[in-house]
Amino acid sequence: MTMRTITAFFLLVAMVFAPAAVRAHAFLDHSDPAVGSTVPSAPATMHIWFTQELEPAFSWIQVTDKSGASVSDGTSGVDPDNKQEMDIKLKSLPAGTYTVKWHALSVDTHTTQGDFTFQVKGS
Amino acid sequence: MRTRPKETSRSRSRGAKAIDPLLSSTRLLHYAASALLEGTFVFWCMIAWPAFARTPAAHALRERLDRRLFALAWVSLLVAIVSGAGWLVIVASNMSGMPLASALQGSVLGIVLTQTHFGIDWIVRAGLTVAIAICLALQARTRSHAVGWVGLLAASAFVASLAWAGHGAATEDVPFDALHAPADILHLLAAGAWLGALLPLVIFLVQACRDMSSQAVAVARIATLRFSVLGLSAVGTLIVTGVVNTWFLAGSVPALLGTLYGQLLLLKIALFAAMIGVAGINQRRLLPHLADSATDDSLCLQISRRVFGNATIEACLGVFVLAIVGIIGILPPGLHTEPRWPLPFRFSLSEGFVRAYPTSFYASTQPYAAPSIARGAPLYAQNCVVCHGAGGRGDGPLAGKLSVRPANLTEPHLFAHKVGEMFWWIGHGTDNGVMPGFADKLSPDQRWDVINFVLARAAGDLTQHTGSQISTAAAVPLPDFAFEQNGAQNTLSQTLKNGPALVVLFAGHAPRARLEQLAKLQPRLAAAGLHVIAVALHPSTEKNPLIVDVSQDVRETLELFDSPADGGETELMLDRGANIRARWMASGAGGLADPSTLLSDAARVKSIPVAAANHAGHGG
Ligand SMILES: [Cu+2]
Repeated sequence: MTMRTITAFFLLVAMVFAPAAVRAHAFLDHSDPAVGSTVPSAPATMHIWFTQELEPAFSWIQVTDKSGASVSDGTSGVDPDNKQEMDIKLKSLPAGTYTVKWHALSVDTHTTQGDFTFQVKGS
Repeated sequence: MRTRPKETSRSRSRGAKAIDPLLSSTRLLHYAASALLEGTFVFWCMIAWPAFARTPAAHALRERLDRRLFALAWVSLLVAIVSGAGWLVIVASNMSGMPLASALQGSVLGIVLTQTHFGIDWIVRAGLTVAIAICLALQARTRSHAVGWVGLLAASAFVASLAWAGHGAATEDVPFDALHAPADILHLLAAGAWLGALLPLVIFLVQACRDMSSQAVAVARIATLRFSVLGLSAVGTLIVTGVVNTWFLAGSVPALLGTLYGQLLLLKIALFAAMIGVAGINQRRLLPHLADSATDDSLCLQISRRVFGNATIEACLGVFVLAIVGIIGILPPGLHTEPRWPLPFRFSLSEGFVRAYPTSFYASTQPYAAPSIARGAPLYAQNCVVCHGAGGRGDGPLAGKLSVRPANLTEPHLFAHKVGEMFWWIGHGTDNGVMPGFADKLSPDQRWDVINFVLARAAGDLTQHTGSQISTAAAVPLPDFAFEQNGAQNTLSQTLKNGPALVVLFAGHAPRARLEQLAKLQPRLAAAGLHVIAVALHPSTEKNPLIVDVSQDVRETLELFDSPADGGETELMLDRGANIRARWMASGAGGLADPSTLLSDAARVKSIPVAAANHAGHGG
């Protein structure tokens, strides 16, 4: 067997058995309140979980109401016990639609960002 | 298998921008300089010194070689420091979102250096450049082999620490994750040793050929043989670790063929194969003669010249490989961009080769969840009902006038199609031209909403045939939904992470007796890992700890899964992938499950291995 045959063989094996691995870039995994959800009562804190560990120095969340005014109570932060989670405290929210913007810097130096909305149901 | 972030937003997540030529060329320079540093020390310690040890007479040659290798090492160190600093500034600018000039200011650089993994890695590497400089200075003065070995150690650490400058820094919940970092480090070390030692070898052979003394020829022979052993072990290491890294980063055949990341990776592998080919010529044609030529100086010289030519070709190919490495590290790995499938067919394990489309391997941007399904329902009514019918059975008002009958969207066969293929048909029409494309009318996100609605309705229809016995066969999934239970926010997918669930759907009055029975049973159900979620399909003020509060879109979605003839209550047993494993109805033959059945079924469902559905927002 020549080196080339060995390479071809390994490549074939790699391609046939290659599983769907996930790595690099912190993407939104799930959030509380959930993306696009309608919640019956106002949440006190917005939690977002990411697919990868974040750099606290350059990661943030913003929550705004319809008029674009911030409804957060303080600044967002990466959970010291779980580097894949970012939280931000919220003011007491009246019924309405809220926009969450997130900006995440993964430990692999790559930045991702996105936004979504959730609704608080009127009582 | 999780191929996508589970919840992407309506306006989706954005990853890296286009390739930054400044950053990728800086990375190329830095990788090349780091490899040369490692390679020069490798060449000294493992090739030159042992070769000279056997022919102490070749003193002049050794002196000339050392002078050039010192010059090469000092230039490489300088380039590594300058390009490393440039890399840091560009990364600081990207991290902070500030232009390059502002990123140069102390505060941003300071935060990056002290508060990020990348910065800390860079501080360590700055320390290593100092160590390498000291070793070079000491070695130039003393010519001590011990100092050279310390230099090799420092230069190797300098190359290995590049693993933390990119994707290797991150850990994730994938099988064998612990393997990734060692594989990455070995890959870097082997590449640095092989590529980095090529230029020293070329320099050496030039000097040896110029010398032409029989001692020089003897040294060249030993060095070339030793280099080929080094090359072979490096290539072996590169292949094994490269396979491991491909496994972690590219992920799948569509990702390899259909994304820029995968295509560059294939190009890199092709260049690597070409390098092995050239090295193979050395190995098989030239080296055997070199061993014979021990007594024939002119033949040996001739062979050395050809080895020199091949090494130059290998080094040039190596530069292209490093250029790809420079670009590829900035790109999101294969699975984080949608692969555009380049072939008109694909291979399916069950059906063999089947027709495929560019979007065949796209994953939905919209999770299979109540909000998307509720958005999809009116879109279906506006655009699809005329042909496919209100119930999706292919019996719309226009159906009879068409040359080909519209597809029945409630058959189990629907789930055999890839969602990416449904996405293509809705956007561009079917191959026979009977179904038109809706790309101008429906945005991509709206097309995914329609697909989620069609899937949920078909799943609801198929659920009507689900019996009260736990089935381990392929089953359809219940869409994800958010709810509030006893004041806490939750979602079905989060709940299922802890175990199976029993979803109780009731349309009219709350089935009080049943809910009280379940509530009493709850400690034992919870101990068995089963969660009970009761949902009122019509707004209700009924209070019970098991009844969760949901929004209208959730009620509309879950209504697809109950039956008007269920006697007011349907109970669904879900496995951890949200697949519906059993169904009981208040009016059914056996009625609802009794406590002991629920407990034993919960244990059975818990043991069913969950393969994530290809369209579901669940999984992971
Ligand atoms: Cu990345």
